[in-house]
Amino acid sequence: MNIPKRLGWIPGGIALALLIWFTFSTIGADRPIGASTGIAYMGAWFFGLQNSEYFQHIKNSGSWEVIFLIGVLIGGFLTSVFITKTFKFRILPPLWKKHKNNSPASRLIWSFIGGFMVVFGARLAGGCTSGHFLSGASQTAVSGLLFGGIVIVVLILTGRLFYKNL
Amino acid sequence: MNFNIVEFFNQTIDLVHKQHHGSIPLILFIGILFGVIIQWSRVDTFDKIAGFAMLHGFKVPKMLFFSIGIASIGLYFMIKMGWAHYHIKPIVLGGILIGGVIFAIGMAILGLCPGTGPVAVSEGNIDVLTGLIGGLLAGALFTYLYPDLKSIIGPNFGKVTLTQLVNHDWFIFIYGALLIFIAFWLPEREVEEEVGEI
Repeated sequence: MNIPKRLGWIPGGIALALLIWFTFSTIGADRPIGASTGIAYMGAWFFGLQNSEYFQHIKNSGSWEVIFLIGVLIGGFLTSVFITKTFKFRILPPLWKKHKNNSPASRLIWSFIGGFMVVFGARLAGGCTSGHFLSGASQTAVSGLLFGGIVIVVLILTGRLFYKNL
Repeated sequence: MNFNIVEFFNQTIDLVHKQHHGSIPLILFIGILFGVIIQWSRVDTFDKIAGFAMLHGFKVPKMLFFSIGIASIGLYFMIKMGWAHYHIKPIVLGGILIGGVIFAIGMAILGLCPGTGPVAVSEGNIDVLTGLIGGLLAGALFTYLYPDLKSIIGPNFGKVTLTQLVNHDWFIFIYGALLIFIAFWLPEREVEEEVGEI
């Protein structure tokens, strides 16, 4: 049997929907999928903030999401090595080279800034693409739809302003 | 600062055991499946996500809208049957508006988000690893500043869903169908795949 090297958006979308159902179900985890709380939990723990109000507030979701993200790392690694054969150490994404610059240092600095903004913004909003959009919008949550709408508009605006030669 | 990984995992696993949201192997299994799906469809790349921000390719929103459309219809009836529960996030207006803007700018620059980022790290993207370090710092800073940030995040308009507001079974079919329609309606265009370099 030949395993396809890439998953199209239709089979990918169906697989993701099945995973959302399983995660929500009482035979699964009886909770939504989320990622950004796990990263905030980890950061706060490393900085010794376990007794702070916010850590106490997120420690249950955060610890669950840390275990989830470890699974994500394992699944992503194995797939990149055995199925898509895309595992490779690299810094410069081809599209960054085409539309921003040729400098690995610049890419690393901007990645740091981008990663900082992504997690800080997600914690202000109370969720990210996984929690607010994938899980929230699947429940028709107004909070998730509002977040998704804002993110799509600002994402495209930033794409216009931050990159060149579009 | 405390980088004692053993202590970190002991406490984290202990916290997970005290909840009723699945065993460690089950949560790992869910994570592995998520990683496999995201990596296999290659929506964990800068080129696909920032490529959407530049309107070069639409695989990411197509897959997202399609899966939410399908998931929403099934989830509605699963909850009705008692096989699942609602887990709604509150409408914290200030937090969602300001946080959404900061999040989206960061996502266009990093080209990834908190769920897809770890997948990109797992396949060798060193740039995304520095993004993850930035994210860990942001999490710590947010936790530290939280008492002062609370006033920005509010007001809280509660946990509201569209299905509650409409309160008819047919609504979920229209909602799901609309999202699936958007997925098919978005252009088929995709960013051509190339391998990055050091």
